[in-house]
Amino acid sequence: MMRVPGLGLAKGMGLTLRRFFEPKATIKYPEERADVSPKFRGRLQLLYDEFGAIKCETCFQCAQACPIECIDMGGLDTKGRYHVHWGPPETYGERRDESALRRSGRPVPDPAYAHFGAIDIVPLEAILEEFDHDPKHLLQILEATQAAFGYLPIAAIKLISHRTGAWYATIYGTASFYRHLRFEPPGADAQTAALDARRPAEATYLAGLAAALAGAGGGPGPAGKKHRDGERPQA
Amino acid sequence: MAQDPPARSTVTVSGPRREPMTTILRTPADWPSLLLDADAATSTRRGDPAAALDAAVKRGAFEGLKRCVHELGPTGTIATIAASGLRGRGGAGFPTGEKWRLALRSEAAQRYVVANGYGADPSVATDRTLLETNPFAVIEGIAIAAFSIGATEAFIAVRAEATEAIRQLEGAIAAAEDASYVGPSILGSGRGVTIRVRPVQGAYMLGEETVLLKALEGKRGQPEQRPPHPAERGLWGKPTVVQNVQTLAAVPWILANGPEAFAAVGSSASPGTILVQVRGPGGDGVAEVPLGTPLRDILALAGSETGLKAVLVGGPSGGLLPVDLLDTPYEFDALREAGAHVGSGSIVAADQRACVVDLARLLTRFCADEACGKTIPCRIGTRRISEIGDRIATGLPKPTDLQLLADLSADVVGSALCDHERLATLPYTSGMRYFRGELDEHILRSNCPAGVCRPIAVAAGAVS
Repeated sequence: MMRVPGLGLAKGMGLTLRRFFEPKATIKYPEERADVSPKFRGRLQLLYDEFGAIKCETCFQCAQACPIECIDMGGLDTKGRYHVHWGPPETYGERRDESALRRSGRPVPDPAYAHFGAIDIVPLEAILEEFDHDPKHLLQILEATQAAFGYLPIAAIKLISHRTGAWYATIYGTASFYRHLRFEPPGADAQTAALDARRPAEATYLAGLAAALAGAGGGPGPAGKKHRDGERPQA
Repeated sequence: MAQDPPARSTVTVSGPRREPMTTILRTPADWPSLLLDADAATSTRRGDPAAALDAAVKRGAFEGLKRCVHELGPTGTIATIAASGLRGRGGAGFPTGEKWRLALRSEAAQRYVVANGYGADPSVATDRTLLETNPFAVIEGIAIAAFSIGATEAFIAVRAEATEAIRQLEGAIAAAEDASYVGPSILGSGRGVTIRVRPVQGAYMLGEETVLLKALEGKRGQPEQRPPHPAERGLWGKPTVVQNVQTLAAVPWILANGPEAFAAVGSSASPGTILVQVRGPGGDGVAEVPLGTPLRDILALAGSETGLKAVLVGGPSGGLLPVDLLDTPYEFDALREAGAHVGSGSIVAADQRACVVDLARLLTRFCADEACGKTIPCRIGTRRISEIGDRIATGLPKPTDLQLLADLSADVVGSALCDHERLATLPYTSGMRYFRGELDEHILRSNCPAGVCRPIAVAAGAVS
């Protein structure tokens, strides 16, 4: 190929001339904004520090904040022990549904509540307000709740836990210690009815004491029927 | 720091409402009466609290508080109480003056007074009767205690079933506040105390002081290791004087009549009077007896003592005492020595119809059921003791059972955290001590002398 002096320059200038008349892609950024999707956040990318270690701490905050919940993480935790995931991939669809509900402003059903019957929380809110959401008055809150509902619904305990900051286990442990507090409505099932039959343990004790003093056998178990030698059952 | 439980009277009561009018047994005329006043009882129960307060003041109520505030001052009051030798009526008999001194010595921004009127034993109505008939004595006692140790808040724990006692107390507190005996400034001294009534229920263990404090804090009722005593670190970690309502009701009398007069009542080691629930063939009622009175005289209040077999002293965790120990004086140390304790203040006469094994297994089973489960010796040990008793009663004991019972009881007592655990072994240990023959009859011959238990006759040689 023959070398023509100045041809390269002419080609370059030609390109320049052609671009000169083409529409421009550059915008004056602060004054003008590019027309991108409102949810566009750029490309997801993990950054590395100067030693080459990955900077992500697997805190899942991005996964929690992601509006369409497309972010997930896998790998080891900071102690190198576990494979961590925000959630199994099968649940991504459900998470999208929940996310859609949340964005639409409708209440999102908490799966932790789903196993228990819903309650009308208005009286419970009033009780919590009255006791200042203070876990120091937990026993009184529980007694008032039982007075309002007839028993302590699990959803109510969860709400009390949420509002007072007391652990669910603490509240459950407190409520299960005191005999007069109950977790099922009276007569809910056969097991509850059987429990209720001997619920005032003190009444059982009093009756047993009276029977024992009268010689009718107050102790539990096979004793209990007065007998004389002649009537003793043969072993 | 503001622990202001809102005033609330909603109380859930499970089970049947128990509101029996307790009978107050008539005591001999020469027995002193410091706590109960039969005339006061009838006048206080009816009518409005303000009129009742006027009547009580005419009878000399709040004289002790006036002396405490105007003459003695805090340290003088505590010295007077200590000089009187008053001991806590809750069962353990801890010296009251020492407890108050301990609370006063502990550095704290806030102190509390807690009056224990729970009355854990369901068959005993002494505390409730006192609160119904003489609420002002308890309130005055609380005011004196609060003034002496510098407490600004006080709680009265009452059994939630005792609705009448709660109603009386709330009215009485309001009336006393109007007359400024309690409230922001006790008799214008600048020191104040707010008294609140707290209905509690649902567990036998609430009679124990650290458990009661847990319940007031809204926690699971489990005892705490002592020391530190509640007087040093109690309610919400602050020094707290926990006293039985009977102790507090005796305090005004001491201040009004002097410690010497109080020390002259009752026995020298534990002066004063105490309320007991006596249950015998002739009746069941509350009586006020001077400490140190022989058991025989107390039982005489509830009928004759013929045909008596055993006396159960101290409620569900009480000891079974035989007839030849009826001369035991009713006071803390002597009863401990005999294998019983003051406990709930219950004294029950059991006649020949009752079987000691049957009675003991009923009591131990109740104690095991009511154990809070905090410590293993109590949770499992009392359960095992109860099972050994069941084996004896049903005729399937092992030859080593009595030895096992003795060893296990000693271990449970030795590793106990609270008194419930320590005392739950008493029915069987006292039964083994005094009624060994009856137990042997069950074990060796599969025979219940009282004809109550039905031991299966499988022991060698028992089947005829």
